[in-house]
Amino acid sequence: MLKIILPMTMLLPVTLLSPAKFMWTNTTMHSLLIASVSLHWLTPSYYPLKNLTPWTGTDQISTPLMVLSCWFLPLMIMASQGHLQHEPHERKRMFISTLIIIQPFIILAFSTTELILFYISFEATLIPTLILITRWGNQPERLSAGIYLLFYTLISSLPLLITILYLHSKTGTLHLPILKLTHPNSPTSWTTLLSSFALLMAFMVKAPLYGLHLWLPKAHVEAPIAGSMLLAALLLKLGGYGIMRITLLTEPVSNFLYYPFLTLALWGALMTSSICLRQTDLKSLIAYSSVSHMGLVIAAGMIQTQWSFSGAMILMISHGLTSSLLFCLANTNYERTHSRILILTRGLQPLLPLMSVWWLLANLTNMALPPTTNLMAELTIMIALFNWSPPTIILTGIATLLTASYTLYMLLSTQRGTLPTHITTTPNSNTREHLLMTLHIIPMLALILKPELISGTPL
Amino acid sequence: MASKPTRTAAEEYRPNRYVSLPAELDPATYDTSPEKRRAEAERLAIRARLKRQYLLQLNNPKPPAVIEDPALLRWDYARTHNVYPTFRPTPKTSFLGAVFGIGPILFWMAVFKTERDYREKLTQEDKWRLGFSAPLHSNKTHKDQTYCGSKAAGRCCWQPPIVGGI
Repeated sequence: MLKIILPMTMLLPVTLLSPAKFMWTNTTMHSLLIASVSLHWLTPSYYPLKNLTPWTGTDQISTPLMVLSCWFLPLMIMASQGHLQHEPHERKRMFISTLIIIQPFIILAFSTTELILFYISFEATLIPTLILITRWGNQPERLSAGIYLLFYTLISSLPLLITILYLHSKTGTLHLPILKLTHPNSPTSWTTLLSSFALLMAFMVKAPLYGLHLWLPKAHVEAPIAGSMLLAALLLKLGGYGIMRITLLTEPVSNFLYYPFLTLALWGALMTSSICLRQTDLKSLIAYSSVSHMGLVIAAGMIQTQWSFSGAMILMISHGLTSSLLFCLANTNYERTHSRILILTRGLQPLLPLMSVWWLLANLTNMALPPTTNLMAELTIMIALFNWSPPTIILTGIATLLTASYTLYMLLSTQRGTLPTHITTTPNSNTREHLLMTLHIIPMLALILKPELISGTPL
Repeated sequence: MASKPTRTAAEEYRPNRYVSLPAELDPATYDTSPEKRRAEAERLAIRARLKRQYLLQLNNPKPPAVIEDPALLRWDYARTHNVYPTFRPTPKTSFLGAVFGIGPILFWMAVFKTERDYREKLTQEDKWRLGFSAPLHSNKTHKDQTYCGSKAAGRCCWQPPIVGGI
């Protein structure tokens, strides 16, 4: 565990002390090295928890997310090179340091076995993200975006803190393996109902659930590319992962809690997919598609069967990669036209044919084309939900149909059609952008061959 | 022969619910009054001014990489950022919000709850087995009993062993 956390923390002095000529190279290479070493977490094991230290332990639902977060640091650094080109060296250093500060907290959040440490790292990821959005966003709306992000998450996580402390006072421990063995809080009273509600709400806001999702389009749209990648690929998964961990603590609660969350998640998947069809802003479209996919993850997390947890895990990983890839592609458009309006950046296939290959692959995986892992995840979740209650297939089926339609709409608007007449020059796609897309696609394609790695089942 | 005076085409073909009046039958098309011509000249002047601004930028020896269209930016702003400031809760909007926003949630909650309660009831009465997606039925519904392999076991058709849910 320490062999990843210590180098990751030491990346901060690397950034702050590197000479200007080598800063990008040093940080990218060292974070890639850490990412490749982190792959050892995925080795199979029969133990319930591996890599045990007093406060951390990894198992099959935390290791894929941790590997994903290690993998994303070099990608985020590479993606930011474009828009930071003309900034003075000090500011570039500060930007990369902000990115690096988040990483140890995310790793801690996914690997910890203590609830309080999870809460602390969950909250600690908020401030650097806020800095990324409000300091380095591009439009004046970034201020309201930062406020929405901060206050939505904080208001919902305060009940979480109180409930965690209450749980500690009642059971005397917050160590997750021990909590699995304690006797569950028996009678269903208002206290247990409210405490399960409070435990879940913070993750529902983070995931996000449909009624509480307002912060997400704002934050994703106003963030710089590294912020969007971070949010889409990692921070949303904190919500999904939290739901999967916390539901073992809310076990014997009245089953009635399932219904509002499940209905909101599934209906929300449908609604946000239809909103995507009416978006004029490309990044907003991708943000709403994130809400749609995470709605499926929440629905799967709530029914708590083996298949649904497996589907939720695969969907979180595949959606992280796909969504981040789409945001990187949208950013390449934005860097060329400084506008996110969909009809302004249309017809790019004749202009940038190589980039259109990546657009095609990204959209194909987004609409859950077989044999990608996105399809495996959606099918698993749909089947698990059908087993829970057959009418859910209506909602999930329509959501899948709408996903395919808005993804097709996004592909056709950006790639096909007449070229806009008002763009006089377009810089060609450079190697850095192609490398970025390649590094997104390669894990997705490789995971098609061995999805057991991310499926959250004992290998 | 014709008992009533014939009507002109313009009077025969009036617009109705399915089709609007074509331009050829609209008397305003053939109106060449000075007011109309002045209005058309003004619109032409505006279009020509906009086109001149666009072409000046396009044919500039050092053109900007992207020529901005302020009308498009205003339209996009109105669609994305100006929605909530121009919203006011009225009886109509509150009704629409309740019916289309909260209504479907309550509807689907009711659907799931009744379906699951029905299955729970069937399970209590032992008419349902986990892992099998149809309720148990009697063998009176089978006309041809040759493929009911488990007749010896007293059942009317093959059923899978009881397994946990997926």
